[in-house]
Order: sequence, then structure tokens, then C-alpha cells
Amino acid sequence: MKKRANFLFIEKQDDVYTVSMTPELQDDIGTVGFVEFVDEDNVKKDDPILNLEASKTVLEAYSPLTGKIVERNDKAVSEPALLNSAKTEENWLIKLSDVDEAEFNQLEDA
Amino acid sequence: MLNQEDRLDYLIRYLLEEKPNGQELAQSELNSMDEKFELFRGLCNVREAKLVSDEFIETQDAFLTEWNHDRKITRLDDLQPVQSQIYLWKGDITTLAVDAIVNAANSRLLGCTQANHDCIDNIIHTRAGVQLRLACDEIMTEQGRMEAAGKAKITDAYNLPSSYVIHTVGPFIDQRGISPIKEQLLASCYSSCLKLADEQGLGTIAFSCIATGEFNFPKKRAAEIAIQTVKEYLSKYKSKLNVIFNVFSEEDQLIYENLLVNE
Repeated sequence: MKKRANFLFIEKQDDVYTVSMTPELQDDIGTVGFVEFVDEDNVKKDDPILNLEASKTVLEAYSPLTGKIVERNDKAVSEPALLNSAKTEENWLIKLSDVDEAEFNQLEDA
Repeated sequence: MLNQEDRLDYLIRYLLEEKPNGQELAQSELNSMDEKFELFRGLCNVREAKLVSDEFIETQDAFLTEWNHDRKITRLDDLQPVQSQIYLWKGDITTLAVDAIVNAANSRLLGCTQANHDCIDNIIHTRAGVQLRLACDEIMTEQGRMEAAGKAKITDAYNLPSSYVIHTVGPFIDQRGISPIKEQLLASCYSSCLKLADEQGLGTIAFSCIATGEFNFPKKRAAEIAIQTVKEYLSKYKSKLNVIFNVFSEEDQLIYENLLVNE
């Protein structure tokens, strides 16, 4: 199941929720040149999860859900333009666990 | 005691001597105060955030204090609210003696670096003095990355009549126009500044029209977002902040009047 919030996609697979870039966000910010994830693992909804410096804007992205960050797309740190890719396996940002499923279900369908 | 022209001469000489090719520039004849002031402003605008002597600061502060206060200074008491806690005022934001004025910054947050550029970031930094760039540089060095759009940082206002400057970076609008993301970023600019002002215990904040200058955000839509965000914030958090919408152009004044007064 795929949802959207805070201009990001969230895809649920078992108990892991993968947060990735939406095409609108990609279009708006332009080519990504710098990515920095927050160090904090436990995030609340709307807490910052990463900072992006792109050709058209500098942006802080906010977590669409409360949960625990179990994985970050570290490859994007060394190769930021991956976040401009159309493929989720390249443009994903973080994976969350310990998410309240009801909170996820309430989000807008993608 | 030095007069304004003596001070300007000193400041220009100091700034030129900092530059590698400064001596050549120093040869050019400047006669009027206006010419001297233009050169001083331009030199400050392009000056990097680096240490400056105490004597420079002292002379600059004396010059700017006199220059900034040699105009009509406006306080909250001089204004009438158009709605509860909300004010509309047309004029130069650098003449406002309120707790905080909001600067439309860019993501480097160091002030406009284009000599004598006619933007609000430039005039705020010029009239505040070179200390403002140094203060911003300190914040940015500590942060270690560029400033994201929609956030807010606060500094002293140095030689300005206001107490503080709150710096926020608006969304940049290109030829494709506005989008929901950019609208939300603009709203975030206003809510982040208000939140920061409340955290600092300020009483009055004056907003310039964020993102509508160099960043091309359509003026009417920007005003709608600004007003809506401010009203929602004040009521949601029961904030006691007084909010001044500062407009500079006739066009912006009409837009805000229509939205605030004639609604």
C-alpha cells in the first residue's frame, strides 16, 4: 500500500515503511547536490529527517509519520542525484519501523 | 568630533585598504556625500564575513546611528491596527523601531553580496552594519549547511532602530510558477518567524513581503498566504504578538488593504 504526506511517498511492506521522493518534489527542487540526514533515530511526524541542497532550492524534509529510522539511503549522501531518479529503489530516503499502522492508514492514498 | 563626511572618508579608506586592488580604487575622485555613500555601501555589501577593527566598528556605528535616525522613525504606537493585533504599514522597514523586523534572506544567509543592489536584504544589512553579516556567518558556520527555505533565524539588529532581525528564506519561483510545495514553504516562513518571535518573548514583529521581490512569488497569492498563516498562528497558539505587514510599493499596499480592510 502506498500513501503520501509532506510531499513524500510512504510505502508499507510488512512492518517497514519506506519514505521516498515524489515527482512533484523532485520537479520543484531540481537537481540534488547535497544530502544530509538527521542523526536522530526516533522521529515524530513532521520532525526534520534530512536536508537537501538542490539546484532550485534548499529544503528540509519532514517525516510523514512517527517512528524509528532503521535505515537511511546512505548512497544518496555520496551520490545526491540518486534522489532525482524515478525509481524508488534509488530515490528512497529513510525506512521507518515502530509506526502506528492507523496513522499510516489515515494518510492520503498515493 | 568627526562629522558624517569625515566618518565616511575613514570607513571608505579602511574598506579599500582591505582589498588587494584597493589603492587603485582609492585614486578615483569622489566629491559628493552621495557618491561617497554609494561607495561605502557597495564595499560593505561585497565585504566577506571577516574580523574588523574596533575603531572601524566605532566609527561605522556613529555614522549609521546618525544616518538611520536622521529619518522619521515609526513605532507601534504610531500605528492603528486594521484588525486585532494586525497592522498594515507602508514604508521603509529599516525605519521601524519594533522588536523584530523580518528580512527576506537567501539560503547563504549572509546578506546580499551584490554591491548597491536594490533589495531588502541589501538595505537591511547596510543599515545594520557589518556586524550583521558576522553574526549570520557565525550561525551558518555552526549549522554547517545552507539555510533551508521556510525556516527562521534571529540576530541582533545592530544599528537599526529595531531590536532584532529575523532572517527567513522564501521559496524561489521559476518560470513554471507556484506549486503546493512552494505555497507551503512560504507559509512556513511566516509561521517559523512567529514561533521564533514568541520563543524569544517578543511583542511586535514586522514582516516584509517575503519572496515577492527577487524570488518572484506572485504578490497577491503571497499576501493571501501571509495573512492566512498569521491569523491561524495567532488564534491557534493564542499568541499575543502584534504583527505588522510592511509593504513598500503602492501595489502591495492595495493588495493588503483589499485583503485586510475591505474583506
